[in-house]
Amino acid sequence: MYLAPALVVLGGLLVYPIYQLGLISFFQYTQAQVSGGEPTTFKGFGNYSELFSDSQFWQVLLSTVLFAGACVVSTLAVGCALAVLLTRVRALPRLVLMLAALGAWATPAVTGSTVWLLLFDPDFGPVNRILGLGDHSWTYGRLSAFFLVLLEVVWCSFPFVMVTVYAGIRAVPSEVLEAAALDGASQWRIWRSVLTPMLRPILTVVTIQSVIWDFKVFTQIYVMTNGGGIAGQNLVLNVYAYQQAFASSKYSLGSAIGVVMLLMLLAVTLVYLRLLRRQGEEL
Amino acid sequence: MKLAPRFAVLLAAAAVAAGCAPQTSDNSSSDKDDKSGTLRVWLFQEVGNDPKAKVVDSVVTAFEKAHKGTKVDVEYIPIDTRAQRVKAAFNDPKSAPDVMEYGNTDTAGYVKDGGLLDVTKEFGAWSEAKDTDPTAKQSVTVDGKTYGSPFYVGVRALYYRTDVFKDLGLQPPKSMAELAATARKIHKAKSDLYGLVVGGAYTYGAMPFVWANGGELATAKGGSGGSYTSAIDSAAAQKGIKAYTSLFTSDNCPAAKCAVMGGNDTITAFAAGKAGMAIGGDFSHTAVEAGKVKGKYAVVPLPGVASGSVAPAFAGGNNIGVLKSTSHRTLAVDLMEQLTSKATQASMFDAMGFLPTFTDVRGAAAAKVPFEKPFVQTLAAGTKFVPASPGWSEIDSSLVLPTMLQEVISGKKSVAAASGDAAKKMNSAFSSAG
Amino acid sequence: MSLLRGLGGFVRRPRRPWRLAAEASALLIAVVVAFPLYWMVLSAFKPAGEIESSEPRPWTLAPSLDSFRRVFGQQEFGRYFVNSLVVAGSVVIVSALIAFLAATAVTRFRFRFRTTLLIMFLVAQMVPVEALTIPLFFTMRGLGLLNTLGSLILPQIAFSLPFAIWMLRGFVKAVPDALEEAAYIDGASRSRFLWQILFPLVFPGLVATSVFSFISAWNDFLFAKSFIISDTSQSTLPMALLVFYKPDDPDWGGVMAASTVMTIPVLVFFVLVQRRLVSGLGGAVKD
Repeated sequence: MYLAPALVVLGGLLVYPIYQLGLISFFQYTQAQVSGGEPTTFKGFGNYSELFSDSQFWQVLLSTVLFAGACVVSTLAVGCALAVLLTRVRALPRLVLMLAALGAWATPAVTGSTVWLLLFDPDFGPVNRILGLGDHSWTYGRLSAFFLVLLEVVWCSFPFVMVTVYAGIRAVPSEVLEAAALDGASQWRIWRSVLTPMLRPILTVVTIQSVIWDFKVFTQIYVMTNGGGIAGQNLVLNVYAYQQAFASSKYSLGSAIGVVMLLMLLAVTLVYLRLLRRQGEEL
Repeated sequence: MKLAPRFAVLLAAAAVAAGCAPQTSDNSSSDKDDKSGTLRVWLFQEVGNDPKAKVVDSVVTAFEKAHKGTKVDVEYIPIDTRAQRVKAAFNDPKSAPDVMEYGNTDTAGYVKDGGLLDVTKEFGAWSEAKDTDPTAKQSVTVDGKTYGSPFYVGVRALYYRTDVFKDLGLQPPKSMAELAATARKIHKAKSDLYGLVVGGAYTYGAMPFVWANGGELATAKGGSGGSYTSAIDSAAAQKGIKAYTSLFTSDNCPAAKCAVMGGNDTITAFAAGKAGMAIGGDFSHTAVEAGKVKGKYAVVPLPGVASGSVAPAFAGGNNIGVLKSTSHRTLAVDLMEQLTSKATQASMFDAMGFLPTFTDVRGAAAAKVPFEKPFVQTLAAGTKFVPASPGWSEIDSSLVLPTMLQEVISGKKSVAAASGDAAKKMNSAFSSAG
Repeated sequence: MSLLRGLGGFVRRPRRPWRLAAEASALLIAVVVAFPLYWMVLSAFKPAGEIESSEPRPWTLAPSLDSFRRVFGQQEFGRYFVNSLVVAGSVVIVSALIAFLAATAVTRFRFRFRTTLLIMFLVAQMVPVEALTIPLFFTMRGLGLLNTLGSLILPQIAFSLPFAIWMLRGFVKAVPDALEEAAYIDGASRSRFLWQILFPLVFPGLVATSVFSFISAWNDFLFAKSFIISDTSQSTLPMALLVFYKPDDPDWGGVMAASTVMTIPVLVFFVLVQRRLVSGLGGAVKD
């Protein structure tokens, strides 16, 4: 009963479009078919084999996985570290840091990317000025461009981790910690053996969400590296799909990429949940 | 909570609704031809749109007076999101306009999408059409049929700093070799200036180099199919690519900064006084005027290979067409002609500086405004257009040519390898687009 | 300050120099984190030409409202603002209510496919949104919602629901079962328990999840540019502000002023719910 509204909305607006998405990926489906200029034709796995035989696809896939991995790890590390830091300071600095983080969180992705680009602009930006780098261009090198985008991604996504984990730590009953401290446990041990297990449900949610978000990163790459960087060196899967498919209206190929991404994310999540369950966590 | 049945019902409903094939719209041409009612028009929203709107308003008022019982509803759409809007309009004829402005490189794609109405007969019968210049005519033509009326043309030429040239005792370059030498001289004498600012993502700045060297983007296979084969890896084209990419060096425009630039970035740099020369369009005039270099620059045609010749430029610009789904065919075609008539184009030139597509009107315009002279010269010397294939928009949006240029500039690939790869991608786009 | 006392246990009351060092670094990090925002607002106030100066200064001597004037000078700016508020507001309220019911169901009842359903909610978030606009376009056309705010509200609700349900689960779980039993013993009906007891208890959680739906609805322009085709009166703020992002005429001042205007309502929303947010997100852990 309670589920009915959710199921209706999700069924109509998510499940059904996803079903259509899967369907489209097996057809020849370009703008000409959409607007009725030409009939749709069934291609079977044609779109997928076209995709898998494209060497650029594999290269982009690899950099996506590495880049998303780096983003997830950095975001979690920064978020958790700052959450712990928040617990050790008095109210005023805590409030200041919290507000700064909320500000970063509130910034729309397009805006954030533009501002970061302006900050690191070789001619007009203050960062090169402060670091004395002259007119060094951050977006020219492949790694340095990825690094710049990573900074922006971490900047706008660590607040979620920080606030959530901080709230989680706060919710841990103080008696538990006091007892551990009385037993003479070191702080690292307290974090490892007392807090981590208690925070696991929150860390699970935070990790899964970060993986999903960072794997699908689009705006930051699109805006900051001008659609994929020099000669496409900074492409990630979502931007690649957009360029290969939506910009040139090959919807079926784009849908195929979408399905591949969906399956990969699903696999990662299921493996992660399986690992958790083995450790006695239940969903 | 009996979930399973509920779910099954949902899925079944979905399957029934979907049939077995993905959804499409039925965008067959409407056979209705109402002689009254409301006509919807989409025009692009320009940076300073008011003068444009004024000209359009006077055309619309005259049109409404001439056709009793008609109302014209003009909407200015942002250029940035036009692709989505137009595609959506093709997919939902109810939301579609009757008449719209579109970029001339989109013609073939929109025709293939089945969105534009074939107006060959009406355009041929229109008395003013015979003065349309051939390149503009080509930009509304696909497979010998006409799909709209040219609205204005845009073309690029060489902007240079008069003060810098005077300081260094330089003359505007007469050939491509001189252009490169002059650029290096400027950068050597004034290291804070790019000699000639170039961009790795500036396709239409690079193309003149290819064309001037006798290269082509693609050659038509012949026949009525209108299919193309890429020629970007031909020896002549490679020479042009080499000439352009050799400008990305520390003695002119360092690759680290220039490789990412697009056309607008180069104009911004020139307007901000950071470059001795730039390749800009007649439409860049306002941006340059608003910059630091106001009053300190002049324009000449971009020189070709032989001394004193003009490099073929890309003929950009916009057209106005009628949508297939219109229910006011006669009225819409008439409005299209009114919006692109000689009189409208002449006042549009006065208002916005858009270069007219009629050779006679354009000549008169150039005589009035000296700034336009080099651009009209460039047009007169012969311009080139992108392949009239729907594959072109795919090549354009998947950044095939910028990728090629950037691969060469950053030293990732040789000219031969990069152009070979680009040719392969172009051919697959041409063939899949049919 | 009960908060501090609660945490004292974790860190055995840090020694003074350590705490000062921690506080100093917290403030320093706050400055670094806030710097891009400061630069954004600063650039919005800089007079024309000063942004493109090769001597970037962290202040401006002649603050100017020109950039903001360009932003507010947009046709029907007020209308777009209201439209955006309507969209974000409806998405927040409707998705919060639906998610509350659904989260209650998946935590309070055990049924077959419960886990499957939960994973489905996760899967729903994994699809690249860009890929779904085409099928959604036809769905919206079928419902006759194209060119209306409804075509923005419905998909946004659908996209924010799965995450909201996931987040809310934790809060509903945190309410002891004993409370529910006690309520029934006192003769409360099911709906009375749901709305008068459970709802207030998980309200902080609802606030926390609302933040997400608010941000995504507020910032969306993908749906807006795909579904609002011919009726500009139904356009939203990001669409209007997109004018300044156009590559033809990089108007940094306009972009930054537009960004500031976009960000401020979210910040206000954040500050309003800040306290609830922290206590809210914490609820998810009290399993």
